Amino acid sequence: MNIVATIQETLDYEIAGIKVIEMIEFAVIFIIAVIIARIARMAVRRRFKEKLSPTTLNNMEKVVYYGIILIGFFIALPKGVSLGGLLVAGGIAGIVIGFASQTVVANLISGLFLMVERPVEIGDSIAVGDVSGVVKDIKVLSTTIRTWDGIYVRIPNEKVFNSNIYNYVAHGARRFEYTIGIRYSDDASKAIDIIKGILAEHPLVLKYPEPDVFVSELGESSVIIAVKIWAPSSHWYSVKKELLWKIKTILEENGIEIPFPQRVIWMAGGEKKEGRGKGKQR
Amino acid sequence: MNLQTEEFEIEVTGRGKRRLYRRRAGDEEVEKIIYADDGNIVVCPVEPVNMPKIGAAEHLMVELKKSVIFEPDTKNTFYVKFPIEVGVFTVDKKDVERIDIFTTVKAKYALYGPPESGIICRWWRSDVYAEEPEVNPLKEGVLRVDVENKYHEWVELQKVVFRAFDMKIFYNEHAYMHGMLTLLKKTTGETSFNTRKPKNMHGAIDIYAAKGIKKFDKKYFMEWGFK
Repeated sequence: MNIVATIQETLDYEIAGIKVIEMIEFAVIFIIAVIIARIARMAVRRRFKEKLSPTTLNNMEKVVYYGIILIGFFIALPKGVSLGGLLVAGGIAGIVIGFASQTVVANLISGLFLMVERPVEIGDSIAVGDVSGVVKDIKVLSTTIRTWDGIYVRIPNEKVFNSNIYNYVAHGARRFEYTIGIRYSDDASKAIDIIKGILAEHPLVLKYPEPDVFVSELGESSVIIAVKIWAPSSHWYSVKKELLWKIKTILEENGIEIPFPQRVIWMAGGEKKEGRGKGKQR
Repeated sequence: MNLQTEEFEIEVTGRGKRRLYRRRAGDEEVEKIIYADDGNIVVCPVEPVNMPKIGAAEHLMVELKKSVIFEPDTKNTFYVKFPIEVGVFTVDKKDVERIDIFTTVKAKYALYGPPESGIICRWWRSDVYAEEPEVNPLKEGVLRVDVENKYHEWVELQKVVFRAFDMKIFYNEHAYMHGMLTLLKKTTGETSFNTRKPKNMHGAIDIYAAKGIKKFDKKYFMEWGFK
């Protein structure tokens, strides 16, 4: 009896006008709300994973997760706690915390602007400052990027917001280029036709805008051919990796070679001698 | 099951629950193992935007070998050919799952519109026919295009862009689609599809429906011109 009475007394004990039992109820309901929110978030992810873009799905998950937690918070609030008072207290606390942590507030506001302006989305290939990789998450305070070599990088949103952002996949198509040097003795027109033929055969080299292949420079050791190619932004890198060696191989099969650097040296009073390298004399 | 043509070969072998799916088209060979109690394998044409990379495009651009010019306030019909992609699906009462998609025609892509806001399309060039043309059914399908020029000026058409999401493909001896193009201005128009099944034709499996995406009637707005 004595123990029961002690427990009852403890539960009825008031701290700042709120009974201990109400605090326990608050904690239990809040924890249940967090568990439900996590289950709901997982359900949303499973249900819409293949149907929504990563950014939309991420936003939907956050709305569901924090929405349920917020509802749980208000349900769990003890009766003695005034919502108005809580908001006022929260506001005052917010101002105090804001002054104390201006960087956090700056990141928060930058994060909100990033979410509204949306210069990058989850899954985009981007470069911010000296970091480049794939955007994995855009949170309220920070943006996380997986670099090309697989390293996790967390960038404060203020830095993202104030930096030049290069989004490599924001547009449907992007251009890349090669410069290919051939010998002076080779037929540049033939080389251009061969390269154009290779590009025409590749499905992901865009038909429009048409690829541009032309002699761009008469170099010291070679005739420089510029090859400018448009490809879908989502696949440009694989196209770029694939084509250069193919062009080199097919040019060589057709007797067109890429020369080593060379220099013709005239000896005073002597014979003309060729410099090192395979290329022929100009 | 064994389906053999000059262009490709599909074979499903095995007994009981475990089957081996094997497909050959050109130099490419694909093998997959299927575990199933029930269900059928369906081979049919699919929206021609999946090869060689699924996700590279969601639109089909048909460039016309000869321009077509339309008088104001008229309705006309012409036919073009479109590229065939073959889809292989497992189908049971509950679900449809894609096993494989392949093509025997050369794929090419193009940008419709400017680089900053244009869209990547599967590109195809076709003659313009007054009547339904003969096609190689393993490579080409027939696309009927009903054109209505609602603009008060003549409009010249060199290309037409359709969204794969809106497509409805039918087939018997060859694949068939019935597209519609409304010319709104000199450089803008809307494309859509007639989804009503023609007589003696089967409806092809829709890859978007197979993914569980609900379809609704919608038009594609061609805002970057017809040339």
